[in-house]
Amino acid sequence: MRILIVFVASLFLNGCYQKESEKIDSLVYCTENAPLSFNPQIAHDVATLDASTYQLYNRLIKTDPISQSFVADLATDWSISADKLSYTFYLRKKVQFHQSERFTPSRFFNADDVLFSFKRLLDESTAYYDLYQDSFTMPLHYLLRDIQKIDDYTVKFILKKPNATLLANLAAPYSVILSAEYAQQLSEAKDNERIDYSPIGTGPYQLKNATQALQRYEAFPRYWGKKAQIKHLIYAVTPSSTKRYTKLLSGECDVITYPAPSQLKQIGRNSQVILNSTPTENVIYLAFNTQKYPFKRLQVRKSISLAIDRQTLVKALFFQSAVITNSLLSNRSWAFNPQVKDVIYNAQESRKQLQNLNFDFKQKLIILIAKNDAAISPNFPKTAEFIQANLAEIGVNSKIISLPPRELKRRLVRADYDIYISGMNIQSNDPDSLFSSLLSCNIKVLEGNTSRWCSPETDKLLTAARLENRFTQRILNYYKLQSFVQEMRPYLAIAHVFRMDAFNINIKGLYVDPLAGINFQHVNKIKEP
Amino acid sequence: MFIYLLRRCNLIFITAFILTVLTFILEHWHNGALSGESNYVSAYYQYIKALLEGDWGYSIVDKLPILDKGLIAFASTLELCFLACLCASIIAIPLGIFAGLDRNHRLDYIIMSIVLITLALPVFWMSILMTMLPHFFGFNLPIDGNISPIYEVPVRTGFLLIDSLLSVNTYHFDAFFDHLAHLILPTIVLSLFLITEIIRLTRHSISIIMQTNYIKAAKAKGLSRLEIIFRHVLKNALPSIIHQLRVQISTIISFAMTIEIVFSLPGAGTWLYNSINNADYIALPTAILIISGFILISSILIDIFLMLISPIKRETLYVNIKNKCLHMFYF
Repeated sequence: MRILIVFVASLFLNGCYQKESEKIDSLVYCTENAPLSFNPQIAHDVATLDASTYQLYNRLIKTDPISQSFVADLATDWSISADKLSYTFYLRKKVQFHQSERFTPSRFFNADDVLFSFKRLLDESTAYYDLYQDSFTMPLHYLLRDIQKIDDYTVKFILKKPNATLLANLAAPYSVILSAEYAQQLSEAKDNERIDYSPIGTGPYQLKNATQALQRYEAFPRYWGKKAQIKHLIYAVTPSSTKRYTKLLSGECDVITYPAPSQLKQIGRNSQVILNSTPTENVIYLAFNTQKYPFKRLQVRKSISLAIDRQTLVKALFFQSAVITNSLLSNRSWAFNPQVKDVIYNAQESRKQLQNLNFDFKQKLIILIAKNDAAISPNFPKTAEFIQANLAEIGVNSKIISLPPRELKRRLVRADYDIYISGMNIQSNDPDSLFSSLLSCNIKVLEGNTSRWCSPETDKLLTAARLENRFTQRILNYYKLQSFVQEMRPYLAIAHVFRMDAFNINIKGLYVDPLAGINFQHVNKIKEP
Repeated sequence: MFIYLLRRCNLIFITAFILTVLTFILEHWHNGALSGESNYVSAYYQYIKALLEGDWGYSIVDKLPILDKGLIAFASTLELCFLACLCASIIAIPLGIFAGLDRNHRLDYIIMSIVLITLALPVFWMSILMTMLPHFFGFNLPIDGNISPIYEVPVRTGFLLIDSLLSVNTYHFDAFFDHLAHLILPTIVLSLFLITEIIRLTRHSISIIMQTNYIKAAKAKGLSRLEIIFRHVLKNALPSIIHQLRVQISTIISFAMTIEIVFSLPGAGTWLYNSINNADYIALPTAILIISGFILISSILIDIFLMLISPIKRETLYVNIKNKCLHMFYF
């Protein structure tokens, strides 16, 4: 009997010891949503970016987190031709692709993979083109005429016109490098879709298995750069923000994303938890349907804007997780125009103006929002309710309609709405990606132009800014564009949101890229004292 | 004895028939197979045949066999129920005995007031409270899921307690203890309900037995109180407690399912809830069949068990049959 007790006790001790090491090389990251795919080329929701960009893939170049300049990733070096029309990239040698149960790479990374990855986005004749349909990679379409393979480790990007934004675009998450050999094998097996859901990349982690609730990664042992210290990286999907925080406190999560804005103050006071907020260029805005009365009239758009108390809205709903803005463009951008006119809240003035305009106070405005939007995190239902209350104060009736994605798309195409409250995730630090998709006549409503704005003058300004070669002139063009847009008011910018994460004090080296997602490569976990 | 078993089996067949008809309608309703001019009887026959062959259909979410998913989920619910029953019995039976022995005394009043208060608490509210309270008092207990995602325990029996013990080679006993830690809070909530139930039943049946003549006789014989309890009272009280608990099985399971949803334990409740949210309606008939099948079979097993341990039960049984036979004879 005594021997048995000693035996059981020793098992206990053994268990405790093992547990410590088990936890040191594993990390649990609690996310809000499951990723829509494992490829940032086809989806740009926060969950996909977090799950793929830094963990699974590499890009040719990346942005240095400190200096914000472009540094080498899979390209070791690059050169620009004298006419500024072609960029030559020299590729890294002996870079291994991941290995999975179904795929064993037979060769190192080379120029073919670069060609495949970009042709997939640009060339309609490739087999993988139809799998991807979205507008956020548009800048690449505007920029590139061709990509050529010089030899196995040299590629040349040829531009349509001289353009300064190529490097920014190559550092954007959608410029990740996939394996051409894997794609080849999948097309032979007629299983093309697998490329985005059972990913093969060159990144520091490889995907082990994934369900809707849990995604498991393993450190890639043959990674070309500094190998990841966390051997088992686990993403646990926990939709409730309060529960995420509780799990962080109880040690079930090491890192959590988007804690509830209302709890930020309390989290900030906890000395065991570090709250990380990264300003992003992601914007929350209110789009007026400019093709339909009453918002076809410029004056109505402007008067209604006055009635919305954005200051209180941001304070009440987002706490420290967002900052009020006047411009669609974040003030972190080099093209931000600080002289854009402010919209100052004044309900009485708004009501007076509307009365002068013979605004029909009996009509019911339709406020459209997305239900459970996975792509962007802010609290749209509450925002909509707040704006509804603001409108009620000046005597304007409104109705909130919240729709799941499929129904929402249909309704947007049908143009059956007056106000649409939404947000946009920005992935490239080039302002063109924001302005083009929100304002250009060529962009359809589902691709981003939810105010259905189309004016020749805006398009002229957009094109001028995009094609301009001289940097200062380009900035001036964007200044002009911003003042013009503010004057025309197809959108009312509400706030720029912060990317919020919280993690335990024993996590070191975590880096959150506001454009491309979270990076676990350099994370290590120190033993708690 | 044989006739008794036969009658019980008869009950199974009739109930199973009604259940399968119900699930058949449910399953064929939403996919539209019931409309049109198809032959219901042959469709039902095909359905039963497929069920017996183990082909219960596939989940639309992840294309896995729905029966396997349902069974694994239900195994997790059973685990929770089993642990809660164990805890509750250890705590509640002694308390019930105390209350029953000193009926209408101070101890009885104290125990019964606590029981009544606990009985009045809604179980989902208790679970929500339990997700917060322990942390407030400085206990860091897991509140989400049934095991830390760090451990990747392969499914063998479906019972995670056993599976985690089987994976001792990879994780030693860590996975097992981690799983136990995740079960602590849900078990507490579920056993609170069970404790109140068992205390009431025990108290009732003990106080009835304390008034019988044979206990009086035992007292007259000069046996001590302890001797009376262990030799006469407990033996005679147990069958009626078990019998009453049998009726509560379905309540226990439905409470467990509610608690699971609050604690995100991947059991039958969470599985059903998520399936319905994802429009995976085939989970509904599957769950009905699995859960009601379990309740049926277990209640019959308990009946047989009771018959084995309690001679009185056996006696009444034969009397009943005799009466029935007489009835038949008369009409």
